[in-house]
Amino acid sequence: MSQPVQKGNYDHIIVKKPPIGDRIKRYGWFYLMFAPVVIVLFIFYYAPMYGISFAFYNYKPNGKEPEFVGLANFQKLFTDPTFWSSFKNTLIISTVNLILATVTSVVVALLLNEVQKAIVKKVMNTVLYLPHFLSWVVVASIFMLLLQPNGLLSNILYSLHVIDADALAQTDWLTQKKWWRFFFYVINRWKEIGWGTVIYIAALSGISLDYYEAAEIDGANRWQQTLNITLPSISNTILVVFILNLARVMNIFESVFVLYNSAVYSVADVIGTYTYRVGLKPTVGLPNYGYSTTIGIFKSIVSLILVMVTDEISKRVRGYGLV
Amino acid sequence: MVYKFSLTDPRYRGRSIFAIFNYAFLILLMACMLLPVIKVLADSFNADTIYGFNLIPTTPTLDGYAYVLARGGSEYLRAFGISVLTTIMGTFLGLLLSTIGAYILIQREMPGNKFFGYMFLFTMMFNAGTIPLFLVIKAIGLYNSLWAVIFPLSMNVYNLVLMRSFFEQLPSALFEAAEIDGCTPIGTFFRIVLPLSKAALASIGLFFAVAMWSEYVHYVIYISDTSKYNFQVKLRTLVIDDTFTLDSNFNASLNTVKNAAIIICILPFIFIYPFCQKYFMTGVTMGAVKE
Repeated sequence: MSQPVQKGNYDHIIVKKPPIGDRIKRYGWFYLMFAPVVIVLFIFYYAPMYGISFAFYNYKPNGKEPEFVGLANFQKLFTDPTFWSSFKNTLIISTVNLILATVTSVVVALLLNEVQKAIVKKVMNTVLYLPHFLSWVVVASIFMLLLQPNGLLSNILYSLHVIDADALAQTDWLTQKKWWRFFFYVINRWKEIGWGTVIYIAALSGISLDYYEAAEIDGANRWQQTLNITLPSISNTILVVFILNLARVMNIFESVFVLYNSAVYSVADVIGTYTYRVGLKPTVGLPNYGYSTTIGIFKSIVSLILVMVTDEISKRVRGYGLV
Repeated sequence: MVYKFSLTDPRYRGRSIFAIFNYAFLILLMACMLLPVIKVLADSFNADTIYGFNLIPTTPTLDGYAYVLARGGSEYLRAFGISVLTTIMGTFLGLLLSTIGAYILIQREMPGNKFFGYMFLFTMMFNAGTIPLFLVIKAIGLYNSLWAVIFPLSMNVYNLVLMRSFFEQLPSALFEAAEIDGCTPIGTFFRIVLPLSKAALASIGLFFAVAMWSEYVHYVIYISDTSKYNFQVKLRTLVIDDTFTLDSNFNASLNTVKNAAIIICILPFIFIYPFCQKYFMTGVTMGAVKE
């Protein structure tokens, strides 16, 4: 009864798009709706791009007109030891933090995944996610109090006879050059460890149970199953999260800004905080808008290169770019 | 798969030993997560000047909270009010801008659609920097205004893209039907798109709210008038200040006051967190679906 499907060549039928004028008219309302978004985007994202030209000026809020100085600010940048120290710190702190974040979140996600009782899992997740939603100011405040002289950590170490009474009364852990980065990493992990697991837990729940049943029949134990099924199944997610974060390593600012202090500048100062001090709140003298813009441009260019490199990696690994 | 817990049955022994260690580790981890918060909570009620490692107040008092609420002619209450106000306004404005932006981005036939997409994308890749934005804000007269905090935070391209990926899942047949029935684009937006996106609005709205509530840096950069600071800035100033003295009618130490201020700052969030957790998750997995 069924009719044979007619095969034909439809190439001669061309669907013509209406003329551009008609299409714009048809979407008139949309343009009107969109206007406020464009205005806000333009003022707060595109208008500042004009300010990039200040990188070529000697511009300080001293009542004088900005004076064109050519590449002098860039020359200064390349010979400024404080800048290079902050650049080095940015790379070290961000990269170590990123590696620690990946490892701890994957491990905790795997361990949480082994918990059988749903309610226990839910309670644990709730507790783990909590610090992510606290502001950096709150987190820094909590840990500044815990790590202050006579604080919780010093007291614990004192009762274990690791430090003496003098150290108990005097050691402010966040002002110690030797320890600052260590505590920075610890505090970062405390805040973000749980939130980092969310995406891996989602990935883990997507693995088909058939694999595990098959492995079970083949006699693989749980450890072998983890190595040969679980990890390969989420390796793509791990890589994606890693490269997405790699593109952002230069942006580190607020976490350092609220945790560092003048005693640890040499190990803690990152480009973001250095830009802030040069351009807005210098310890001595006037803010230097010109030079600060120069540092900002350097940062943006390195960021852009990182984004393009990671976009390329992303295209090779998973077939499409970052966004 | 559910495994029986047994240390004697050889089939389950390995798993059971692992389960014990796993639970032990996770409980220890929970303790590490909660300990700092519990310590702060305990110290906020403790009038002792000695900062020990007790987790129960040795000299219980409420004066830490009383001091924070009364200090400087209730300047902290005012800052709390500013936090609430900017959070509400920023969340509303943020949702408005990101829903409209996302709605435009899904109009594939609209001339200029691709260009608009690149316009957003470019801002994610290249940023003019702190000082140029600071100078723009000064030039347009927003310096020392709360709008200097609200506007830059409500125009969040990441949230906009997240919203777009949610809108893209809505069936386009609905839009066509609405158009045939004579609905204007704005009508479609309010009558069809928004009512169908309640989950996305809740979760992205929460992202905005948390960001607005937590904001510190924008206040420090764009506002110098201390009467316009939000609670985060006041908290920060209080915690790094070791020189202020309390009136003798307050039975509290500096530590009591600092800890009490921290608790006040996180209190609103602790109240809404249990009810909103699922919306936070929706937001994250929504972004992940696209990956």
